[in-house]
Parts: sequence; structure tokens; C-alpha cells
Amino acid sequence: MRARRVWAFAPLLLILAVACQPTTPSLSPSLSPPTASTAPSAGAYPLTLTDDAGRQVTLPAEPESIVSLAPSNTEIVCALNACDRLVGVTDFDDYPAEVADIPDVVIFAVVDIELVVDADPDLILAAGNELTPSAVITELTDLGYPVLVVYPASLDEVLDNIELIGEAINARDQAAALTAEMEDRIQAVTDAVAGAARPRTFYEVSVFEGTIYTAGRDSFLASLIDLAGGGPITGDPLTFSIALEDLLAADPELILLGDAAYDASVTPEAVAARQGWGAISAVQNGRVVVMLEDPVITRPGPRIVDGLEALARAIHPERFD
Amino acid sequence: MRASVATRSLVGGPSLGRATLVIGGALVVLLASVVVAVGLGSVEVGLPEAIGIIGQRLGLPVPETWASTAPTILFEVRLPRVLAGALVGAGLGGAGVVFQALLRNPMADPYVIGTAAGASLGAVLAITAPVLVPALALGAGTAWLGIGLAQVLAFAGGLGAVALVLAIARQGGRSNMVTLLLTGYAVSSLVAAVVALLLVSSGRALASVVGWLLGSLGGAGYPELAVAAPLVLGGSALLLFRWRTLNLLLLGDEAAAGLGVDLVPVRRGLVLLATLVTSAAVALAGTIGFVGLVVPHLVRLAIGPDHRLLLPVSCLGGAALLVMADMAARLVGGVPVGVVTALIGAPFFLWLLHRAAGARTTP
Repeated sequence: MRARRVWAFAPLLLILAVACQPTTPSLSPSLSPPTASTAPSAGAYPLTLTDDAGRQVTLPAEPESIVSLAPSNTEIVCALNACDRLVGVTDFDDYPAEVADIPDVVIFAVVDIELVVDADPDLILAAGNELTPSAVITELTDLGYPVLVVYPASLDEVLDNIELIGEAINARDQAAALTAEMEDRIQAVTDAVAGAARPRTFYEVSVFEGTIYTAGRDSFLASLIDLAGGGPITGDPLTFSIALEDLLAADPELILLGDAAYDASVTPEAVAARQGWGAISAVQNGRVVVMLEDPVITRPGPRIVDGLEALARAIHPERFD
Repeated sequence: MRASVATRSLVGGPSLGRATLVIGGALVVLLASVVVAVGLGSVEVGLPEAIGIIGQRLGLPVPETWASTAPTILFEVRLPRVLAGALVGAGLGGAGVVFQALLRNPMADPYVIGTAAGASLGAVLAITAPVLVPALALGAGTAWLGIGLAQVLAFAGGLGAVALVLAIARQGGRSNMVTLLLTGYAVSSLVAAVVALLLVSSGRALASVVGWLLGSLGGAGYPELAVAAPLVLGGSALLLFRWRTLNLLLLGDEAAAGLGVDLVPVRRGLVLLATLVTSAAVALAGTIGFVGLVVPHLVRLAIGPDHRLLLPVSCLGGAALLVMADMAARLVGGVPVGVVTALIGAPFFLWLLHRAAGARTTP
């Protein structure tokens, strides 16, 4: 029976997996096929698009009903003024407020296929990189639904995804206006932090049973910290974890507590009291900052720019008076 | 049969009337479970509508009073899942009986000699390979005969692990069942360690890996069923033909040998058949726990230890139990069926241990 000890910590890992899902939009850029390209004829249906998984998705007509399997997709659809076309969302969805009235078809990170079929959408917006399991994408595709897999591996790709969804739902102009505004704000952030010293920055995603989770090497989150003018201290690209000794050796000048957004017991004082953490420069210099903006920092939707601005303000408060 | 006329009283089996009654009863329970499970889900499809939809499928001129999506939900989403539950439950229930008889161990289940560990390694390798080796990501979506790579590798892994266990156990001369059990334990531990290693480095695939390990019937469609059904049903039928041998094994090695049964090839055949059935079941649904352990005990308590009835009724009972457990999992929403079976199974297992300790006898 001991052979199955691995099962014993399976539920724990499941909890961890669910907890980490929205916070790890990271991962190797090599896994992400080239970004969405669009069919030449604008506004004409049937329309064939290439999604982030490299799949060809054909829409016979302008989608009147949409199911979103990820909060970021929901936010994009609503930002394109198409919130009223959503007929199914996830139970993680919390923005904008009106999505609370839309039925959930994803419950505890599990897609309920029956509920999706019952909603009978013209378009399903899935998340890539196994956030929506590939088995579910296959099953929904086999049932005859157009499934667009959306998965940005960088900030630029978030903008591309907004334009891809705009293309799919015949909201190109809104998408172009939105991404133009986002580009201006991103430019403003990079201008503001240009030339500033880049503090070694540790972003705490969570600390669980002594294992410290942070931005993985080459991850989305690491690239955001970089854009915001910080030097990200990164963890393993697969496990997103960093050993305490490696963290101490990296000696962060700034600690950002993303997990404080969900757990009030995570405070700068609690961090200072952790065994060994007192030696870190950031702790000694009082540069441990609560990041209540974690949901927008880790959700690759239109508000990602809010997250970038929050990061920049936390890393370079002197440049934002 | 090697069992002679002299042993007929030991291995003659129950009367035809009782057999018909018991197996018929179990069949009715299974059919009722299937009907209820197809009828209930997160989307409500009323009984009259469901009957109408079935009638329309059969070509009857039934007026369409249901939502256009209802037939899809019944036939494309719910029915394959219910059938997969029945198939996997039947395989695990039957294989559990065989392993408990073979190993003469009440704690034995279909996974005990390495099937689960091997199948897990296969599936977890298939799921994590694209994460660990990005070059493989392109091939991750490919299917073989309409079956996913995880299912193919799980099936191969289950068979492979048991083949390894048998080969190692054989090295120590005439393999006895204790050696087999201990070898299975050692190989399972080793393989489970590799699985755990893959688990912590699975990154974005972690949720999929854990979901597979906990067991889920969600991924089973008609193509998978078409491949798994002959393996599970055929293997179970072949096992059922060996009910006399299984009964003899209960008497103990010496008694069985004294009755003219050459134990080594007989056991090997039973192990291979039961492993085939288990691997097909695990490949279809992941490592669903406790069904293969609990159902044989429940059925034995109800109808006694004669394998002529115990084996088929455990198949039917396992099928009914898993269909109902999966229905509960679906209705609760987002709970892997393995969690539901463990929630039912673990307390029962504890009671069994308590009872065995109290009676100082092994069931």
C-alpha cells in the first residue's frame, strides 16, 4: 500500500494546482506557437482564424453567444462591449461585476461539458497551456463547437489576443482602440522607469509548507517585472519554486507579496519573522510591499496594464509621484 | 477440467435457480443505475423528454418537445461517460475478486502487483512529456486509433509493470504468491517514486496529472470505449470460465495441488488476464481507487465466496457502484470520481479491518 503514497499528497497538489492556476500564466515561449494571424477579409464570415495552439478555427457566422473558459477571456470580451453575448463563464470570474449574473460552466477549475452544451454557444474561448485541459478542448471540438484557444506568453501577446478575439466576434475597431490605449500606457510605464536602477525584485506567489513559489524563469510574470523596471529573481521554470538558500543568495532588494491579496496573514511583519528571512536586504530596509493588485498582475486580460502600473509604482515609487 | 469427479461437490457451484436470481438481480441493479445516471446531470432533461429523444433515435415520429441541445447532452456527453463507468467498474470489480483469490489476501486489489503504478507512469509520462521536452509539444495532440497517447501509454505501462514483476518474481525459482506480492510492492514503490518526480516537475500539466491519478471518467468517448470494451469484457469472460480454479485456490496451495491443479501456469494465466482487464480499465479512467477492493468484499458478504457467482456479480456490482459514484461526482460538480469512491471505500475498508481484527479471522 505504501507504493501509493503518491496518492496521499495528490489532493494537496490539486489544491495547489488550482491555487496556482490563475497566477502562473508564465512558461516557455517556445511552447507558444506564433501568435494569431487573421484571415485577409475583414468582417466577412465564414472566418478562419489561427489560435494560440496553432489550430485553424472556422466561424460560420458572427458569434451571437460565447462561452468563456477563463477569467481573462471574459474580461477581454466585456472590454470589447460584448459582455451581453456571454452565455457561460467560470466561477473564478469576478470582473466586470455584471458577469456575476452569467451562468458558470467551469466549476472549481473543471469544465462541465453538459453545461457548455446546454448553453449552446457559437464560440468557445478556452485557455491554453493546459489551463483548459487539452482533453476538454478536444471533446468540445469533437462536439462541433468552434473552440478558440487563447494563451499569451508575453504582454505583447495579450494585445494580440485582444485583437484575435475582436476579429472573432466582429469587434475589430473596439479591439484596436483598446490595444492602442494599452500600448500608450505601457509606453508611459517604460518611459517612467527608463534609466532607473533595477532593484533585485522577488515576487512571492505563495509559500506553502516551506516551499516558496515565485515567477518562473522566462515566465510572463518575470517579463512584467522586467518591464516595470525591476530585476526579477526567478524560480525553476517548471515548478515555479525557489529554494530559500537560493533566495537568500539572490538577496532581493524588494519583496512583493502577491499572496497578501488573498491571505491577510501574509504581512511584511510576518515575512520578517520567518526563519532566515531577516537577513534579506529588502526585509532589513523595510522594502516588503503588499500587492493587493495580484489578480490583475496575473490575469492576462485588458487590466494587465493596471497590473504593470502597480508593479512599476511598487518597484519605483520615486518615479510616480 | 483437471478437477475430478471426486471434487465435484467442492466445485460444483450453486443451483441454477439461485444463480439466475442473483445474477438477474445484479443486472437489474446495474440497468437501473445506468438509467438513473443517464437521466441525471448538471443539465435537467426530464424523463418524458428523455424517452422522447430515445424514441426519435429509434426512428419513431415523436414531436420534439425538448431543447435542441438535449439529445447531444444525453448521447454525446452523458451516455459515453456512464458506459465508461460501467465498463471500468466491471473490470475493477472482477479483477479485484481474482487478485484476492490468487493472493489469498483480503487487502489485495487490482492494482496491488504494479498495474496502477505502471499505468500511472505511462499516463504521467504522456501528459508531462510536452512540458519537459518542448519539442514534443507539437506531437502531443496526436491520437492513435482515436485514442489519446496517455491512454495508450497507461495501458502499456500497466502491462509492462506486471510483466516486470512476474519476471523478477520468477528469478527466485518457483514463484510463490508472497514473492509476487512483495515484488509487486517493491516495483510499485520504485515506479511511484518516478511518478512523484514527474509530478513535481509537471508545471502547467500538474492539474491534468493529478486529475488522472485521482481517476476521472470525463475523457472517455466512444472511440476509447470501442477499444477498451473488448479487452475488459473479453478478459472478464475468460476469467469467469476459470471459476473452478479460483475456488480451488481458496483451499490453499497444498489442497489445490493435491487436487491435481498445477498452480504455476494457472496462476500466471489468471494474473495476465486480470492485469489485461485492469490495464484497460485504468487506461480509460485513471487510477480509480477502492472499487476493486471493496466490491468483492461487499458481494462476498452478500452471496458467499463461490466464484461462479462472486465473479459475475462483482463485475455487475462494480459497474453499478462506479456509475452511481460518477453520477454523484458529476452532480456535486468538479469532484474526481476517484475521490467519491475513496470517500465510500475508505470507511468501509476501516470497518473491514476492525471486523477482521475483532473476529481474528480473515474473511
